[in-house]
Amino acid sequence: MKSLAELDKLREKLQEEMRLREGREDVKVVVTMGTCGIASGAREVLTAILEEISKRGLKGVTVTQTGCAGLCHCEPLVEVERPGRDKVTYGHVDEKKAREIVVSHLVNGQIIKEWTIK
Amino acid sequence: MMEELAHHILDVARNSLEAGATRVEITVEEDPASDLMRFSVIDNGSGMPPHVLRQLTNPFFTTKTGKKVGLGLPFLQAAVERCGGNLEIKSEVGRGTTVVATFPYYCWDRPPLGDMPRTIVSLLVGNGHLDLCYRHIYNGHSYKLDTGEIRSRLKGISLDTPEVLIWLRQYLTESLSILSGGGGYEVARRAG
Repeated sequence: MKSLAELDKLREKLQEEMRLREGREDVKVVVTMGTCGIASGAREVLTAILEEISKRGLKGVTVTQTGCAGLCHCEPLVEVERPGRDKVTYGHVDEKKAREIVVSHLVNGQIIKEWTIK
Repeated sequence: MMEELAHHILDVARNSLEAGATRVEITVEEDPASDLMRFSVIDNGSGMPPHVLRQLTNPFFTTKTGKKVGLGLPFLQAAVERCGGNLEIKSEVGRGTTVVATFPYYCWDRPPLGDMPRTIVSLLVGNGHLDLCYRHIYNGHSYKLDTGEIRSRLKGISLDTPEVLIWLRQYLTESLSILSGGGGYEVARRAG
C-alpha cells in the first residue's frame, strides 16, 4: 500500500538527485493532448513515457503536454527536443512505441526514423 | 469517440487549462442505488462569453486557431444523449466554467468510467503548479485528493516529476480501490 510516508522518502531521494544535476539543460518530451490526441490514446502514451522514464531512473527529462497541433490524422504525437538539436516528431505512437522511443531516443540517442513525421 | 468517461473528463479539464485555470475541481459521483453516474469539472479559467457558450456543442465551431472543428464537447453531448443523460455547462467571463455531465448508472450505452488515476496524473504532466482537487464519491463514501497537500509534502520538488506522478497514480489507484470495496474501477462494461 502506498503511503504519504513513502512520498517523503521519495522526495529526499529526488532532492539529492536534483542537487547533483543543477545547471544542466533538460531534454524535452511533449505529448499533444487535444481531443484528437486523447481519443487516439495520448493519455496512455503519456503515462507509458512517465513509467519508462521512472523505471529507468532517467534524469534531465522534462515531460509536458500541449493542445492539438493540427496533425489530428497522425495522433498520438510525441515530440522530442534535445538541447541544440532539431525537434523530432513521432506520429501514430502507441504505448509500446512510446517505451521504445524512451529507450532508443532518450537513452541511446538514436532517432527511430521510420516513426517520425515531417 | 471516447472510450471512457475518464477520457471525457481529461478532455474537459484540458479545456480548463487552455483557458488559463489555476484551480480545477473534478468530482466523480457513482451511486448505483440511485442509478446515477455524474462528473463535474469546475475551473477558475477565463470563462466564455454567451456567443461562445451557445456554440459549444456545434462540432464545426472552435475558438482554437489552426483547425476548423471542435469535437470535445459534441462528443460528450452525444455520449450523454445516447443514454438519456444530461449535460450542463455554465460559464462566466473572468470567473470560470462549470461542466456537469449526468448519466444513468445502468445503461448499456454509457461508456465505463475508466482509469481516473491515469486521467488525473496526465493532467498534472507539465502542470505541477496546478491546484487540482479530485473528489470521488462512491455509494455515499467519499475520497478526496488535493494537489496542494501533496505539494506541501514535496517541499520544492515538482509535483510533475515522473517518479512522483507514478507514485501518485499507484496511490490513487489503491485509494479508489478501497473506496469501491476492492472492486477496482470500471474498465469495461459494454457488451458486444
